[in-house]
Amino acid sequence: MRRLVHGELLKLVTIRLTHGLLATAAVLTVLFATLEASRAGSAGTGVAPISTASGLATVTTVTGFAMLFAAVLGAILASGEFRHASATLTYQATPRRGRVLVAKVIVSAAAGALFGLVAGVTATGVGLAFASSDSAHIALGAGTLLGHIGGAICGAAALAALGAALGSLVRSQLATVIGIFVWGIVIESVIGGLFTSVRPYLPYTAATTLAGVKLGNAAFGPAHGEAGAAGSLPFIAALALLAALALTVSVLAARTTVERDIA
Amino acid sequence: MSVIEIRGLTKSFGEVLAVDHVSFTVEEGTVVGFLGPNGAGKTTTLRMLLGLVTPSDGSATIGGQLYRDLRSPLHAVGAVLESAGAYPGRTARNHLRIQATVGDVPRSRVDEVLELVELSDAGDRRVGHFSLGMRQRLGLATALLCDPEVLILDEPANGLDPEGVRWLRELLRSLAVEGRTVLVSSHILAEVAQTVDSVVILDRGRLVSHSTLEELTARAQQTVRVRTPNAQELAATLAAHDASAEIVGPDQLRITGASSEKIGTLASAHAIPIFEATTEAPDLEDIFLGLTAAGERNGKR
Repeated sequence: MRRLVHGELLKLVTIRLTHGLLATAAVLTVLFATLEASRAGSAGTGVAPISTASGLATVTTVTGFAMLFAAVLGAILASGEFRHASATLTYQATPRRGRVLVAKVIVSAAAGALFGLVAGVTATGVGLAFASSDSAHIALGAGTLLGHIGGAICGAAALAALGAALGSLVRSQLATVIGIFVWGIVIESVIGGLFTSVRPYLPYTAATTLAGVKLGNAAFGPAHGEAGAAGSLPFIAALALLAALALTVSVLAARTTVERDIA
Repeated sequence: MSVIEIRGLTKSFGEVLAVDHVSFTVEEGTVVGFLGPNGAGKTTTLRMLLGLVTPSDGSATIGGQLYRDLRSPLHAVGAVLESAGAYPGRTARNHLRIQATVGDVPRSRVDEVLELVELSDAGDRRVGHFSLGMRQRLGLATALLCDPEVLILDEPANGLDPEGVRWLRELLRSLAVEGRTVLVSSHILAEVAQTVDSVVILDRGRLVSHSTLEELTARAQQTVRVRTPNAQELAATLAAHDASAEIVGPDQLRITGASSEKIGTLASAHAIPIFEATTEAPDLEDIFLGLTAAGERNGKR
């Protein structure tokens, strides 16, 4: 398994797409964190001043895009094998396909963790830069900020693992990637906006909860900022939910599409 | 000793029977040509052998084991399959590094196989920029990376230019000299005729022949082309002596089932003049086409 994981890791680091996705995630994080910091404290934006704990947290937890990109990377690592017909070689080297799936999930989670780390550090850096230029007071302690970064790492790792499981299940790279973006940006926002009691249990929302995002702040469109009546899931519950989801989809993939003929 | 054993192998895709109870063996240290026209079921058979496609019935083993049960598959079997791909954005060297990592061979082996397939200068180029011939060479490098005893090559000459085909022939010969077992598929008999010890011919999913080239050639009937002004009369005479004659020109016959000596003797006995008699050796490609549906489609059957 060690060699298999090493091989899958090499597959990720030897293509430009991985570096491009990471760079794009970092740039988008800077962009959106800067946008939130610029809006902080302005009337009608709903974002508290950056000198407050709530305002600073709004900026330092802008890590949702990086989490979606991590999920996309996991999906590409798995489904790309079928798009480029390299699954033939992969399964020739490791005929026990379940082991390949496990290796891909592990490597995707590790890569996702890096996405979370980069996004967490970047957003925190932007938040601290704006906060220190606005006032000498930093409203959040180091422990809280590190907790948010740690949460972003966990959230992105879990979504990347889920992405790899989905990519193995669906096999179509295009469908999986589009599906991840549509789910994260449109479907969760719609479901979360209409059924607020369900919102905390939705995967993208649960992942952003880990990073300290206030319920509703990770949503896109009209649902953005609408916290609703339900509270966020506790950290452990959100992490367990995402892990259970990734495991369920992995088992489903292992029992169905993974063993299908490679024609 | 049989290294590859195919027993009653069958595969259906819905209502399409792609491989129909195919059985054959490949002995250790031999090079076997696996032939058949496009769509004969060669690739499906090889994919079942490699555990990529699940058989509907029968079994395919290597060294007595199913591929998925091999302890170290890359060290046991090297395979180049048609349509097997490498990620286009990755360099050839990195592609091989990944396989070397999974196969647990030192990185120095990557450079060795790149040199063997004459791709050393292209090692750092992205596979997406490779020609079809270069991709075939990379496929061979991948198959040889872990120095396996058994090689399964699916249409390895596809995309190779004449120089590349000659290179491949020499490579196959050197692999045979090293005592490796090679099963190489092709839809062109002449492509592998100079290299193989025996041939397995598949047509429409069924095994139609498994023999050495000599046996295959011997099985085919020789023809004698005769020029005579009494073509009709000679044809009737030959027909009465269990030979068949086809009139192929105003004064020409193509005769099967009789040697030139027998034809000459019969013609002489019936006072039929013969101006010319030429024995035609059976062409390997004609034999192949005669055994397969391709010949039927091309009107050669």
